[in-house]
Amino acid sequence: MERLGSQAMTEKTNTPPRRLRFEIFRFNPEVPESTPYMQSFEIDETPYMSLFIALNEIRERQDPSLQFDFSCRSAICGSCGMMVNGRPALGCRTLTADLPDTIRLHPLPVFKLIGDLSVDTGTWFREMAEQTEAWIHAREAFDPDAQEERMDDDLAEQIYERDRCIECGCCIASCGVANINPDFVAPAGLNRIARFMMDPRDSRDATDWFEVVSNDNGVFGCLGMMACHDICPKELPLLDVYAYLRRKALAARFSG
Amino acid sequence: MTDDTLNVRAEEARSQLVYELISGASGLCLAVFMWGHMVLVGSILFGARGFDWLAGGLEDYYIAQPTVIFIIVLFLVHAVFASRKIPAQLRERKQMIRLARDLRESGSSRPVPGSDYVPFRPHVESMLWIWQVRTGMVILVLGSFHLVLLGLDVFTPMFGMHRGIESATTLARVSGGLWPLYAVLLLCVEFHAGVGLYRLAVKWGVGARLSRAALWKIEHVLFWIILGLGILTLVVLAGWLDPPLAFLLEAAP
Amino acid sequence: MTAANMTTTDVLVIGGGLAGERCAIEAAAAGHDVLILSIVPPRRSHSCAAQGGMQAALGNCVKAEGDNPELHFLDTVRGSDWGADQEVAQIFAEEAPVAVRELAHYGMPWTRVRGGKNSYFIKGERVDIDESLENDGLIMHRDFGGTAKWRACYAAAGTGHAALYVMDSEVVRLGVTVRDRAEAVALIHEGGRCWGAVGRCLRTGAHFTVLAKATVIATGGYGRIYGQYTTNATINEGMGASIALDTGVVPLGNMEAVQFHPTGLSPSGILVTEGCRGDGGYLLDKDLNRFMVEAEPEKQELASRDVVSRHMAQCMRDGKGVETPYGPHLWLDIRHLGEKHLTTKLREVYDICRDFVGLNPVTELIPVRPTQHYSMGGIRVNKDGEAYNMAGLFAAGEAACWDMHGFNRLGGNSLAETVVAGRLVGRSAARFVTETNLDVSTSVALDAMREAESRAGAWLDRSGSGPSVFEIRDRMAETMISKVGIFRNGDELTEAVDEIEALITDCDRAVLRSKVPGMNPELTFALRLEGMLRLALVTAKGALVRCESRGAHFRTDYPLRNDRDWLKRTLVRWPDGAGEPEFSYEPVGLINLPPGYRGYGSDERIALETEVEAYNAAVIDEQSRQGRLATMEPMGSRMQWKDWAVRQ
Ligand SMILES: Cc1cc2nc3c(=O)[nH]c(=O)nc-3n(C[C@H](O)[C@H](O)[C@H](O)COP(=O)(O)OP(=O)(O)OC[C@H]3O[C@@H](n4cnc5c(N)ncnc54)[C@H](O)[C@@H]3O)c2cc1C
Ligand code: HEM
Ligand code: HEM
Ligand code: SF4
Ligand code: F3S
Ligand code: FES
Repeated sequence: MERLGSQAMTEKTNTPPRRLRFEIFRFNPEVPESTPYMQSFEIDETPYMSLFIALNEIRERQDPSLQFDFSCRSAICGSCGMMVNGRPALGCRTLTADLPDTIRLHPLPVFKLIGDLSVDTGTWFREMAEQTEAWIHAREAFDPDAQEERMDDDLAEQIYERDRCIECGCCIASCGVANINPDFVAPAGLNRIARFMMDPRDSRDATDWFEVVSNDNGVFGCLGMMACHDICPKELPLLDVYAYLRRKALAARFSG
Repeated sequence: MTDDTLNVRAEEARSQLVYELISGASGLCLAVFMWGHMVLVGSILFGARGFDWLAGGLEDYYIAQPTVIFIIVLFLVHAVFASRKIPAQLRERKQMIRLARDLRESGSSRPVPGSDYVPFRPHVESMLWIWQVRTGMVILVLGSFHLVLLGLDVFTPMFGMHRGIESATTLARVSGGLWPLYAVLLLCVEFHAGVGLYRLAVKWGVGARLSRAALWKIEHVLFWIILGLGILTLVVLAGWLDPPLAFLLEAAP
Repeated sequence: MTAANMTTTDVLVIGGGLAGERCAIEAAAAGHDVLILSIVPPRRSHSCAAQGGMQAALGNCVKAEGDNPELHFLDTVRGSDWGADQEVAQIFAEEAPVAVRELAHYGMPWTRVRGGKNSYFIKGERVDIDESLENDGLIMHRDFGGTAKWRACYAAAGTGHAALYVMDSEVVRLGVTVRDRAEAVALIHEGGRCWGAVGRCLRTGAHFTVLAKATVIATGGYGRIYGQYTTNATINEGMGASIALDTGVVPLGNMEAVQFHPTGLSPSGILVTEGCRGDGGYLLDKDLNRFMVEAEPEKQELASRDVVSRHMAQCMRDGKGVETPYGPHLWLDIRHLGEKHLTTKLREVYDICRDFVGLNPVTELIPVRPTQHYSMGGIRVNKDGEAYNMAGLFAAGEAACWDMHGFNRLGGNSLAETVVAGRLVGRSAARFVTETNLDVSTSVALDAMREAESRAGAWLDRSGSGPSVFEIRDRMAETMISKVGIFRNGDELTEAVDEIEALITDCDRAVLRSKVPGMNPELTFALRLEGMLRLALVTAKGALVRCESRGAHFRTDYPLRNDRDWLKRTLVRWPDGAGEPEFSYEPVGLINLPPGYRGYGSDERIALETEVEAYNAAVIDEQSRQGRLATMEPMGSRMQWKDWAVRQ
């Protein structure tokens, strides 16, 4: 039967609220000699409650010192990656309705901890961008008088598909290799490399890329654990990206 | 950057590619070999006659001997190149295991009502990799032992001490107490090879054409078929069941 | 003061969104030392949230044929309800195509024209159009409200995201230093000259100073003064405008011009794109009636944003909204568009519904309500991006009132503004830097920092039983949305002003409940709240004084546009020590397109009584009185493309 939104809404508002228990990792490095611990909070669930709403409620009503990051609260900016019951997820996009009564929250591993649930993904991504030179190496200077260079729309779509990554770091936190090898460019890094590799405006050739990609910090560091692909909140086809990079590396090696 | 460092980087990139190819290709070869192997050993289902006829044939035509050498080499090469990816430190391994376990346990298969979208997609592959390493280690020990036994079987006839691989020795060996080892080895090898092939296909992009779900299914089907065959064989080798297909050969004149 | 908390640079850019980064690129390419401060890593700036597109008159597809900057200019001025500075609108329209092509050069994956037969959805119907093969591979356009042609260039459903990422790639390429998780909390200035800013590190809570020859504010909008009733990110708290207001001399322009988007998702306020209605979606009230059909028989759901928002607000006032614990909302119905359309062309909407309300728009209705969306007002700057009354201070992007949007911004014009203004303002900051030296005594910086520190310290010292800062924020939000929202009237605005003034007093005795050292999130918010309340006050007051209806500013007690008395821009300053803000008005600027009918909405207005020539003469007088060069620039006259810093 067709379900009207209004009915769905009534269903949702009429069920008695659950009491949610949050167990949250706490650590403020600015407090000397403090040690990490887990703190519990309890709140009543409301319809459509996301971790964004829940955490803000905890901060505003219970413990205003709680640190976490949100910005767009619409799964676009990538600020709010955190470990939810042991799995990286975007806090703003995770509805409590999809979670059990007890919700464990930790900061993302791999990244430097800033405090509580807040980690420094910005620095990681900037360093990765510098390391892989993640920008267009243009052939010539921009000519403001010229019409734009043409590009096939299919190709534009493919580049866009790579570009959809919001640098939330969830894939990195979920990857066993990235967790133990700080030099691994990691899923999002490999995706970024692929994005520039397939862009005809970039002047780097197969040999240049070969050196970046074909090593244990590049695509051959990947063990095929596939967590990145399953975790990525933007559902990027990361596994296809690695396959592309592997095949490119192979082709580069045997074509000259 | 000087030309020298560039060359070093290019050189390094080339060798890393080669290592990756070696570990993948050796795994692939071993896996394919294992299927053939299971079928060959499965000849015991046709009774001692079938097994001996096959083993004898392979030895008489000098197929078995070079294969054994080749497989031993491949086995060692794969062990060396594949295990280079295993984290060296216990702490790192523990961290990986904890992560993999958390990811597996936090998965859910409950879709959002009205769509097939699952908020916390189930994920087991990280844990499967951990098990691949674990089974690999078991295979290294038990497989080596098995290869020594079989190496002796195959090569001692040259010195006139033995008749090569024989159903009698095999049955005596397995039923005489080695069957638990074989059972463990069987399970490990099947698991390791099955997951390994699935992973290999995804890594190199067979998945893009076939979709991961399809590969996952294929892997499962193959796993159970080969494992079923293996178990049946083992049961016969251990002496708990008479060769069920022996009547076929006995009926022949 | 130690070296660690004092930095010097040529150009300080506050804000790492599209506008800020484009400025930084221009200045860095000209060889200057540039530092960007940003609350979040640049790529997380709210520019990344824009989905729709970026207006630029390239005229590449069939429905855009014959488009040119002049048409773009006309649409922009009409859209602004004649509130725009027409010279700026002209410069903007001329430069937008270059800025868009430059983004392509940076690597932007613009959606391209597909030569041959294409199917589009136009007003809910499928239409087949043959795109010429000649244009195959050029940048494609899509339709947006209020434009004569298809003009919005776009990258699938993530235009802002893709643009911001390529822009940041350029910033990384040029090696521009970015200090993220750093918030500017005050400007360093002395005698009408700006020398940089005091910052607060959001990792450690420590203050620091950046001394700069030129300072650019590009901090985006101030939608969060409407609390949760906004489509804006939580960081769009208007801190840039607020620190400019704090100088006491720099005026903000048109703060009462606040745009509401008809379809913000309820309760979260996340934007549901206009494309839903563009493709044929309906709005329904609680009885599932299509109220827009009665209200606007002609354009129905597709009237302009301000018009639709007004009808929706009216409908909810009449008790036809669906009541929920989060307040009333209406329904958006796109079920009839079919699953295929929803999961492809409107995929983002489908995902948002699924992820945030757990509903499936193929079978369910979407709860929506008009939601604050864009800040037309901001730091008033001239054509070159220079703030009034403060040498060395520039502003660009949504934070600025450069004023090409007047009282209503057209969809797609603001992304384009960020890049066009970014390059222009960056260039003028670079020019300014070349001509000046950093001769300021460090004590000025030190004093500014001490002041900021003591402000934070005062919060930590205060104790007792005052209200909580979050409570004050919620009350501010309620006041703003209910009394300075879509419909405004004198009585409610007076109440709003009183309430916000009371909140400002309350804020002075509010108490923090957490005194932890480091980046104390409650303290961080408290510091912002002070500024937000002042912005809320100038917004409400500006709206109270402006007795007419123009664009998004709609007064039920003065429902007509009044060009006779109000063809002018609000300027507001908050002099040091004064108890309240000081308002003044300036003409909107030189007029090229005389005020008239917008082409939609109401055709009734109180007409301008002076001749346009006389109006323009007055503008020129005013400009020369302020020591500015009076110009009436012909189209394209400022396009010194050849002089642009060569990037390579
Ligand atoms: C949901 C949504 C959809 C939109 N869609 C469109 C569209 O389709 N087309 C269109 O043209 N426009 C659209 N807009 C409007 C457009 O996105 C914005 O106007 C534009 O991106 C603003 O860019 P900006 O660079 O001025 O500011 P922002 O991108 O908001 O950047 C502000 C920067 O300033 C920093 N900052 C703020 N305060 C401080 C401080 N005190 N100290 C240091 N740094 C600070 C922030 O960290 C951030 O880096 C949309 C807006 C929203 C909210
Ligand atoms: C000698 C003991 C063995 C050890 C220690 C071992 C170990 C490993 C390890 C650690 C991997 C993962 C490598 C990676 O992810 O890059 C691996 C992969 C693999 N192994 Fe083994 N293995 C052994 C024997 C075998 C055998 C007998 C087979 C065949 C039946 C086999 C087939 C495979 C396959 C197909 C892969 C996938 C290769 C890839 O993903 O690149 N392995 N092995
Ligand atoms: C070329 C080398 C090999 C030969 C000739 C060979 C031969 C045999 C023979 C004859 C048996 C029957 C039991 C016995 O006689 O002990 C057997 C069983 C078995 N072998 Fe091998 N083998 C070889 C390599 C391997 C390798 C590399 C592995 C995996 C690591 C392996 C795994 C097994 C297993 C699991 C069984 C038990 C099968 C069952 O009971 O179903 N073998 N093999
Ligand atoms: S690839 Fe996915 S998970 Fe990884 S950073 Fe990008 S969006 Fe996040
Ligand atoms: S989880 Fe890591 S190992 Fe590879 S497939 Fe993903 S990068
Ligand atoms: S807050 Fe932006 S992705 Fe969650």
